[in-house]
Amino acid sequence: MNPINRRHFLCKVYQAIVACGAGHFLSFSDLIQAAESPDTEKPYLIWLHGSSCSGCSTSFLDLDGIPVTDVLTKFSRLVFHPDISLATGNDVTKILDHMPQAHTPYILILEGGIPVAMPHACMMGGKPIAEWVSSLASKAKFCIGAGTCATLGGIPAMHGTETGSTTLQAFLKQRQINTPVINLPACPMRPEHLVYTLLHLIHQGSPPELDQKNRPKKFFKRTIHERCIYYADYQEDRFASKIGEEGCMLKLGCQGPVTRNDCLIRGHNGNTNTCLRAGHPCVGCASPHFPRRIMLHSYGDERAMTNKKDQWSDV
Amino acid sequence: MKITIDPLTRIEGHLKLSTRIENGIVVDAHCSGEMFRGIEKALIGHDARVAQQVTQRVCGVCPYAHAEAASLALEDAMGISPNRNGILLRNLIVGAYQLQDYLLHFYTLCALDYVDITALLKYRGNVASLIALKDWVGSELKHNKIYPAAPFLPRYEGDYINDQDINIGAIAHYVEAIDIMAKLHKMVAIFGGKAPHPVTIEAGGVTMTPSVQDIALYKSYLSEAEQFIRTKFIPDVLAVAQAYPHYFSEGASQGNLLSYNSHLDADTNKYHFSSGATIQGSFQAFNPELIRENHQFSFYKNKPDQDVAPLKGAILVPLNESEFKAEEAKKDGKYSWTRAPRYNGLPMEVGPVARVTNTYHKNNYPELTHLVDTLNRKLRISLSQYNSVMGRHLSRAICAQLQLDLIKRDIERLEPNQLAFKEMALPKNSQGMGLTEATRGSLAHWIETDNNGYIKRYEMIVPTTWNMSPRDAKGQLGPAEQMLVGTKIADPDNPLELARIIRSSDPCIACSVH
Repeated sequence: MNPINRRHFLCKVYQAIVACGAGHFLSFSDLIQAAESPDTEKPYLIWLHGSSCSGCSTSFLDLDGIPVTDVLTKFSRLVFHPDISLATGNDVTKILDHMPQAHTPYILILEGGIPVAMPHACMMGGKPIAEWVSSLASKAKFCIGAGTCATLGGIPAMHGTETGSTTLQAFLKQRQINTPVINLPACPMRPEHLVYTLLHLIHQGSPPELDQKNRPKKFFKRTIHERCIYYADYQEDRFASKIGEEGCMLKLGCQGPVTRNDCLIRGHNGNTNTCLRAGHPCVGCASPHFPRRIMLHSYGDERAMTNKKDQWSDV
Repeated sequence: MKITIDPLTRIEGHLKLSTRIENGIVVDAHCSGEMFRGIEKALIGHDARVAQQVTQRVCGVCPYAHAEAASLALEDAMGISPNRNGILLRNLIVGAYQLQDYLLHFYTLCALDYVDITALLKYRGNVASLIALKDWVGSELKHNKIYPAAPFLPRYEGDYINDQDINIGAIAHYVEAIDIMAKLHKMVAIFGGKAPHPVTIEAGGVTMTPSVQDIALYKSYLSEAEQFIRTKFIPDVLAVAQAYPHYFSEGASQGNLLSYNSHLDADTNKYHFSSGATIQGSFQAFNPELIRENHQFSFYKNKPDQDVAPLKGAILVPLNESEFKAEEAKKDGKYSWTRAPRYNGLPMEVGPVARVTNTYHKNNYPELTHLVDTLNRKLRISLSQYNSVMGRHLSRAICAQLQLDLIKRDIERLEPNQLAFKEMALPKNSQGMGLTEATRGSLAHWIETDNNGYIKRYEMIVPTTWNMSPRDAKGQLGPAEQMLVGTKIADPDNPLELARIIRSSDPCIACSVH
């Protein structure tokens, strides 16, 4: 590539790095170095699907600013992804069997839960996904839980399910595997959160600062409610009584007060929108309570008022 | 001999494929959905509106369709339909999402089964992103890495395209498509809040009230997407189709095609894509009463010899681990978490081919009829050849082009600042059915509520449930299994043919089992 072209290209990549919040630990010269020395050790990434819907994978492809192909080639080496890899069948199981013995640093990303009560409810290559996670996580340098299912339970662990779907962190604890885990809840996982975390792991060699649930504080320190565009309405007791009305949507089932995420700062899909701006109460997709028994409801719905805590107390 | 592909990648979810080969030809095939969550049963006791948010998460690739079907089912129980803006906004969310899904399927999931990624090494042009990729592949191969050029290698070797220009053009579009897909998801987010898993489609309409700025932004992304779809996606599909003409006669299912109505016109109240069942070439009107499900070869305990109607059978009980292992060890045991839906007793292929074929036979969508006739003349094929690997890709291109025109018209009709939602009390002790078309085919939700507005019973029959169904009690193969039978395998170590056939049906396994 001619040098002017290349510099222009890298400038664009760097703008995106700044936009995802990684500018303070990744300088432009770091980027040039990363791009120009193909031989430096780039960590291998392995992405697995547990009990998942592939929503976090699709969300990852929506990354705004940095071309996904750059993340996968300039900063890391994606050794396996179920939706992207050309490898299929035996080639996949060969790669996944080999990686824990390859003496090469790698990061395991798990999307989806791990069904421990019914290991046969998620199989790959003739083995339960639990066994793949176990063997790959034990030799990984870091593990990342992508999305709510892998980090807080989410849909496969919702009330009424029977597969015993568990989170990556809880599973590793059961198996006494001590690899550090970084949790990136939200349904789906936000691509900026993953890229920031990866860049931090790669360039600092350590996870970003985490909270008690191993979530990066940078993104999960505050609740949706604290940053809400309707926070002033809440304080002034101006509540929307139906969809389409101005005001705080708490009384229509908003989960903002119990949900930690930075949607109201960074927005979804490159800050195109947020659920609240789209006229819908927060469904709490990054919360440990997701999905609740009652979410969007009519103003004054007594069923929602009477079971505030877990909403299942009358069952 | 046997060929097993487990896992089959570049589809949604966990799929195992087992085939038996005699004299180089597939004589038997089993498709196994390998992941079960039990979402229908879990929904029981939840508020009826929760189904929209939960069932979307059945699938992260086509969540919009579940949001729509769940809302339609609850609206059916409520006895209401959305207002004009509500219909238009749904079309705009669903339409943009379908376009994203068509591109994802063709480029990210399928293209590199035909296009030769190693053609990059011979690239002599000056597009920065391609030079960067070429340099990267070159250095990967040079530096003796483990798994060099992953995720693009290793791959099945086979008859990839030889023409350097077609390869390079398609690789450039493979990269560019990622950007266009993100923009199409932004269009979804404008009216849906976010993508994947847009929140705003609810029974009663859409919670988003569109502003003039929203409409302008949607149109600006739409024109970029349109440019890509017309000048790159459709020509790429045609180029691949012309490079592999024999794939218009391979990978045929039984030839029974089912579709539901979709894309409601907000002014005429007619659907653009028609429901119907084309059985062995003969078109019939669709009757939802003819849908049944069989569980003989699915990993559940229920009486397997009975065909059950939606909401009518006992709630399915999944096998425990030892029962599961016992079935797997049996010669003719159960082998999939996917169930076997049948229409009037027959396995049905759903998806773009069914959508195009049934709408063509119904003959009330002149733009579709014209486009199909034009393409058939150009490619020298007939409508009956759409039941094939390449027919499926072509049908997606047809649907994409039509969908593009429909949402271009819908966005002009949208009224800014008009509420698109009506609130309605939750229906008690009531039932409803919601039918629509997801990108990959016919989607149905059924809901039954109790006397407090909680869910008493919920059922979904999803596109891939039809396409990837296992055998039924009569021994009829599922449509995808049938697609594989008769296929000639050139090299058993590189069964690229099997992968191409299965991927052409765009399976979503998480969806199919749920």
